[in-house]
Amino acid sequence: MREADERYFETLETELDAAMAVAERARERGGDPKPEVEIPTARDMADRVENILGIDGVAERVRELEGEMSREEAALELVDDFVDGSVGDYDTREGKIEGAVRTAVALLTEGVVAAPIEGIDRVELLENDDGTEFINVYYAGPIRSAGGTAQALSVLVADYARALLGIEQYEARQEEIGRYAEEIDLYDKDTGLQYSPKEKETKFIAEHMPIMLDGEATGDEEVSGYRDLERVDSNSARGGMCLVLAEGIALKAPKIQRYTRNLDEVDWPWLQDLIDGTIGESESEADDGAASDDASGDAAGDADGESGGADGDDEVADESEERPGPPRVDPAKKYLRDLIAGRPVFSHPSKSGGFRLRYGRARNHGFATAGVHPATMHLVDDFLATGTQIKTERPGKAAGVVPVDTIEGPTVRLANGDVRRIDDAEEALEVRNGVEKILDLGEYLVNFGEFVENNHPLAPASYTVEWWEQDFEAAGADVAAMRDSPHIDLADPSADEALEWATEYDAPLHPKYTYLWHDVSVEQMAALADAIEGAEVAATDGAVVRDDGDRRATTGDLVLSRSGPVQTALEHLLVEHTQDGDRLVVSDWLPLVRTLGFSRSLERDWTRSDISERAKTYGEGEATDAIGYSPEENDGDGLNAVLAVNEVSPFEVRERAPTRIGNRMGRPEKSERRDLSPAVHTLFPIGEAGGSQRSVADATKHADSMSETPGRVDVEVAHRRCPACGTETHEARCPECDQIAETVYVCPDCEMEVEPDESGRAECGRCETLASPTQYKELDLQSIYRDALETVGERETAFEKLKAVKGLTSAEKLPEPMEKGVLRAKHDVSAFKDGTVRYDMTDLPVTAVRPAELDVEPDRLRHLGYETDIHGDPLTRADQLVELKVQDIVLSDGAAEHMLKTADFVDDLLEQYYGLGPYYEFEEREELVGELVFGMAPHTSAATVGRVVGFTSAAVGYAHPYFHAAKRRNCDGDEDCVMLLMDGLLNFSKSYLPDKRGGQMDAPLVMSSRIDPSEIDDEAHNMDIMDTYPREFYEATRELADPAEVEDVMKIAEETLGTDREYTDFRHTHDTTNIAAGPDLSAYKTLGSMEDKMDAQLSISRKLRAVVESDVAERIIEYHFLPDLIGNLRAFSRQEVRCLDCGESYRRMPLTGDCRECGGRVNLTVHEGSVNKYIDTAIRVADEFGARDYTKQRLKILERSIESVFENDHNKQSGIADFM
Amino acid sequence: MPLSTPARIVSELASRGYNAEREAVTRLADAPDSAAALERALETVPDDALKLTVAHVDSVLDREESRADATARPGNSPQPNATPTDGGDPSVSTGTAASQSPDSHDRAPPETRGSRDVDLSKRAIEVANDMTGNSTGTGEYQDFVTVFRDRYEKLAGNLRGRVNHRPTDAIQNMAGGSEAALIGMVSDIRSTASGHWLVELEDTNGTFPCLVMKDRPIADLVQQLLLDEVIAVDGTLADDAGILFVDSLHFPDVPRTHKPSTADRHVQAALISDVHVGSQEFMADAWHRFTDWLHTPEAEHVEYLLIAGDMVEGVGVYPEQDKELDIVDIYEQYEAFSEYLKEVPGDMEIRMIPGNHDAVRLAEPQPGFDEELRGIMTAHDARVHSNPALVTVEGVTILMYHGVSLDEVIAELPDEEANYDEPHKAMYQLLKKRHVAPQYGGHTRLAPEDRDYLVMEEVPDVFHTGHVHKLGWGKYHNVLALNSGCWQAQTEFQKSVNIDPDAGFAPILDLDTLDMTVRKFA
Repeated sequence: MREADERYFETLETELDAAMAVAERARERGGDPKPEVEIPTARDMADRVENILGIDGVAERVRELEGEMSREEAALELVDDFVDGSVGDYDTREGKIEGAVRTAVALLTEGVVAAPIEGIDRVELLENDDGTEFINVYYAGPIRSAGGTAQALSVLVADYARALLGIEQYEARQEEIGRYAEEIDLYDKDTGLQYSPKEKETKFIAEHMPIMLDGEATGDEEVSGYRDLERVDSNSARGGMCLVLAEGIALKAPKIQRYTRNLDEVDWPWLQDLIDGTIGESESEADDGAASDDASGDAAGDADGESGGADGDDEVADESEERPGPPRVDPAKKYLRDLIAGRPVFSHPSKSGGFRLRYGRARNHGFATAGVHPATMHLVDDFLATGTQIKTERPGKAAGVVPVDTIEGPTVRLANGDVRRIDDAEEALEVRNGVEKILDLGEYLVNFGEFVENNHPLAPASYTVEWWEQDFEAAGADVAAMRDSPHIDLADPSADEALEWATEYDAPLHPKYTYLWHDVSVEQMAALADAIEGAEVAATDGAVVRDDGDRRATTGDLVLSRSGPVQTALEHLLVEHTQDGDRLVVSDWLPLVRTLGFSRSLERDWTRSDISERAKTYGEGEATDAIGYSPEENDGDGLNAVLAVNEVSPFEVRERAPTRIGNRMGRPEKSERRDLSPAVHTLFPIGEAGGSQRSVADATKHADSMSETPGRVDVEVAHRRCPACGTETHEARCPECDQIAETVYVCPDCEMEVEPDESGRAECGRCETLASPTQYKELDLQSIYRDALETVGERETAFEKLKAVKGLTSAEKLPEPMEKGVLRAKHDVSAFKDGTVRYDMTDLPVTAVRPAELDVEPDRLRHLGYETDIHGDPLTRADQLVELKVQDIVLSDGAAEHMLKTADFVDDLLEQYYGLGPYYEFEEREELVGELVFGMAPHTSAATVGRVVGFTSAAVGYAHPYFHAAKRRNCDGDEDCVMLLMDGLLNFSKSYLPDKRGGQMDAPLVMSSRIDPSEIDDEAHNMDIMDTYPREFYEATRELADPAEVEDVMKIAEETLGTDREYTDFRHTHDTTNIAAGPDLSAYKTLGSMEDKMDAQLSISRKLRAVVESDVAERIIEYHFLPDLIGNLRAFSRQEVRCLDCGESYRRMPLTGDCRECGGRVNLTVHEGSVNKYIDTAIRVADEFGARDYTKQRLKILERSIESVFENDHNKQSGIADFM
Repeated sequence: MPLSTPARIVSELASRGYNAEREAVTRLADAPDSAAALERALETVPDDALKLTVAHVDSVLDREESRADATARPGNSPQPNATPTDGGDPSVSTGTAASQSPDSHDRAPPETRGSRDVDLSKRAIEVANDMTGNSTGTGEYQDFVTVFRDRYEKLAGNLRGRVNHRPTDAIQNMAGGSEAALIGMVSDIRSTASGHWLVELEDTNGTFPCLVMKDRPIADLVQQLLLDEVIAVDGTLADDAGILFVDSLHFPDVPRTHKPSTADRHVQAALISDVHVGSQEFMADAWHRFTDWLHTPEAEHVEYLLIAGDMVEGVGVYPEQDKELDIVDIYEQYEAFSEYLKEVPGDMEIRMIPGNHDAVRLAEPQPGFDEELRGIMTAHDARVHSNPALVTVEGVTILMYHGVSLDEVIAELPDEEANYDEPHKAMYQLLKKRHVAPQYGGHTRLAPEDRDYLVMEEVPDVFHTGHVHKLGWGKYHNVLALNSGCWQAQTEFQKSVNIDPDAGFAPILDLDTLDMTVRKFA
């Protein structure tokens, strides 16, 4: 670690320690569940693992092992320790196994996610039919957050422990095997699995699994066969088990095998069959003889083959010798699945006119993001904004959109026929209303690391300046000198310069003048050539000079007579031009005609017959199986004219944009405060007394009847007793002597008090039932409320409404001091289930920032340790670029505002409740810069400390990719929250967490004070950190090379791990002016109704050349409207009903007709309106956009079904339906 | 419960607005099937009569006897007390299909095949409970209440004779420890912490909790309960009158004494379902063999064809169904079905009800086809009634119901009571509950109408369902329950959940004896 990095972390930790000291003093005084801060600090992963599991001694052992072996091996090594008792304090065998399994999962997930505590319910010993014992591991839904590898390894660890303890293997019964198969299929249909094992595979695994996999029921759908099994508790699908078996064992078999091979005690020879995919073919093969040797040979072959994409990977074109086409990746349409109304498709798979793949990493890029030009964002009617998620064709599944303005923008045809490329967001806004067709969406920046991460073969690169420069240099040009020359702009040469370089150095033509010849057919190219032959050159004022003598003029515009094929050719080539009646006018035309083998005087020495047969039949253009491909339009061979052009051109012309990437909108970006619903100011129970708003003020006046005193509510609260004076209370501290009270456990059956054992379990010795830590108690809300106001010195007028909760969901039901709620209400912040105040933002990465775009003075940043810019120059100006430190984050404007409110709340809390001085005292937003916050992702249980470094108008949270990775997020549309440090320290308590599955998730059970790059999700290590990509890389893309093949010439973050440079040198290839360019919010969020959104979506689909509108309409109906209509109609005919007066709900309409509770009016919960709200729209869209008859018929049948249910046959109105 | 019968008859008569002579009531009570006798007496009573006379009852009972004599066949006298399960399964004819049916290759085209020599004048067919064209519900809350009240009233009527019903609000005010009985709709079933069953029963006044102790024999009956069926319980109130300890539990049920009616002549009906035309798995060859056989002398008495739903495979029944369709257009599916139907002899009387694959609403009761679909089905003037419908063929009442609720009955009840391999057992349960789809809110969908069409007001002689694609039949209290198989080979989905359908069978029912023969054409 560099000294600067050490200093940085010390700054953070000093600040953290100071805050901790204040918080500790406060907690000693207040009425919090514990008199100390409840978020322990972890300095490394070992600490986190130990803290999250609460098993002493794990951290020390993990640190010992870490240096010697991989994390997976360490997990297995720890099994020995658990079994011999040197780690963990377990008496029973199942306890030891449970400890080992949990530790393994925690270790493999870096001690961040909740899976080890929430995902494994228990381990138990059961009996085989022959009387021997076996191990049953009981999984729960949250095991999902562990990921496949950790899930699979948890089984291996359990088996290893089993072997060490001498317990027998599990022998599955036939019906249990059948159950596994049916259940996994059910779960896959219901919830969906990343990998759906074939029935035979599941059965094969179930048969051979030495451990029984069991789990909690997670869904309502039940299996229909194999029910009521003796050793399986539930007939519903057990989600955790399904995940472990399918996405763990079945999918990660090769990875597990690597570890079983090293263990003598554990032998899973059957994995080989699973890997080979030969299940069902030779199941009888049992001996480890020749057959198995063969198999492993195959496996090795497969492993190689996989990288080449030879088998299985159907997205990749197989490059056979016979096929005469250009290198292409095959279209993949998976991303179009489950298209939703209101979220537009931007491009159909690999369709020309869609986004053009450009390689590189912008400074706000990498880690599952896609760089899009801000002009494009505006031109797609603002549907794309910074942070909007898109589902994409490749290389991954989804990406977060980031604005990058150093790539090419979109090309459009305006209503007057002019074709222009728009490279400027302002210009895009100006012309937007006049755009008739978006001919091309512009470039789409993807960094090399994405391909590494997704193990996706490289797709042919666009021919861009950064590649051309290297070609030019290789051709012998002194590029370095030209770069320094003030007269030459290598990125933007004049036509003459470009032509001179191409001919003089025999280099490929500069990309600026390289048109998209692969997008036009040989036929179209020839038509264009013919048109040029008959063209004229006009003076620059546009008036055509009819003088024959001037026809050979070299100045002025090229004027072509307008015809369909010529116009289409120019449009597809992306040649900018204007339209003037019957003429098409091209201004910078010389490279175009030279490329087509014409002289300056528009003469050519070739005819169509000179073009070789191969060139005439080259390429398929769009694949014939692509969506929206029409054979009439793309008749015949030779859909790619690039070979033909090269035959007539005096210089080499590269394929300009061979890879198009389809995508559609996923989720909109997010920047919103996190409120429970309804929002809650205090975790204090008031029952039903507060009405549906849960208003404390209302509750103090509420009485069930006239005879009762208002404000008295019966609620279930904690049952505690003061150890000093014996006073009973429901509060954390004794109201008499301020001692911390202790929980009292009472057996519900015999009402005896029970002492909890060491593990905290309180079971009644006589009744064998669990004793309860709670009591039902009548609370006097009036006095509690009054006292709370008095304590903090506030009046009721200080806030609008104080909202509490109906009941507490935690195990001990310890209420929060109401004073905190009063102050939250005053500052308009609300509490999450754990007592903290949170703000959610979409995650985006950024590795270098400018003070100006963060709305912060360079001075301020210098104080935070940003002394120099990325070039090493002292930071003095707001437009200098500085490298972001790993734990520094950029807040959205909304987040900053919310943090300011939270800071005010915290200050009031410290002063008015805890009786200490204020901590923040903010006056202006800028004062937030330098303050610490917690970053915390859902499904995890560890917070990461971050530091605010600036603000952005985009509705996202920008931070270093390592920061996001430490929270186990990437940036493909994921979102998570920030909390103000002091708020978390003061207000978080484990005691508030719900006592149910998943309750410990999304709660800061531990915090990481510093990020160790080796201990974060390794996806972040695959980000490339280079200034430029080398020529070898670009050339390899045309070979569809595996990313691993170019690793030597590329540099990814992994290479700096463990070195001095691990916190620095995150270089980028592309800059961008502002990381918040483009629209602030996606149109999806600004448009009102679903119908508006859908109309906008369909209107874009008409405008985009790369989109097939009928397919969009079809998908909206198929995946959105039909499921909605069908679902609501079904829901109607089996709905519950609810009392309008008291809110009581009934499974079925009461025979009395009225509410049985209060006699009030009962009504339906699903009305006609919610059933038929989309039917008219759906039918209209189906007709207007030409959906299939099948779809139209389905709609018609549904429409009639709806009528049949809601219309009286005897008095039907004659309506439109009668005439259809 | 013979003792309570006169009382029951009196109350029943009262509820219908009739008075009766004391002797007339006694005669009716003594009749072998008093319920049926009462019904018939009321049907035939002159419109203007207010009092049921002895003479009138006698005349009804006389006719009843002579009719029974006429239809009783030597050697096959009905045994009123035979246990339901050993009703004697008819044998399956497994004679080779090829030898029975002419070679399918040289079949004459359907339109050239003449009708058989049958006497159409002897035919008689009536349909009741058909709500096609009479769907008056508009999906209001009150419509649902009306349906459930109607269900309660109708089924409670069946149970009133067996217990002395006290309304729930009256029971609440009774003294602790007293005996009480209650007829109620099951609104909740829970097991208590100690393993007893808490059944909440509801009548039009409110609900009352009833406890069935786990060690009582009737605890097994609780396992058979479905939500929203109507039952009667007898028992003792707890000391605080807050709960009823149940001693006995009654279902509306089919009377054990039920005597089915039969046809006056030897005539047969083919009872099939689930044809699924349009599916890639539709077994056209089996269908041809079946229709060919109908033209043979062996089938000369088969004059009726009853189809219990799913005539076509439909569109959009499940996601991506179009990929497994042979005919993607729903109208073409019906056209094709109509063509297949033309293969049966032209004189056959055909009646159908829709199923969940047909192009009508899924919520039950399902109306028959609208005019557009009827227009397509030109063959044989085939009639499509609502699901369910009560079809009386030459005196034999056949309750046709597609059978969607069978899935739920099989899922909810213990395996030995209902399973896919013995679908008729699930049907027994429905007969016992006198309702084709009792449970609301789950699998089965309900469309509220002006009354509950799904109640079995009248005991049918035959209960015919399909839907589960399994063949099974048996007798329950002399009612023949039949689930006919299907004409669709195993689908991918069925393969994945291990359902092996019984495809290509045609159960043939003798309407004069209610004996059944199953013919195999697959």
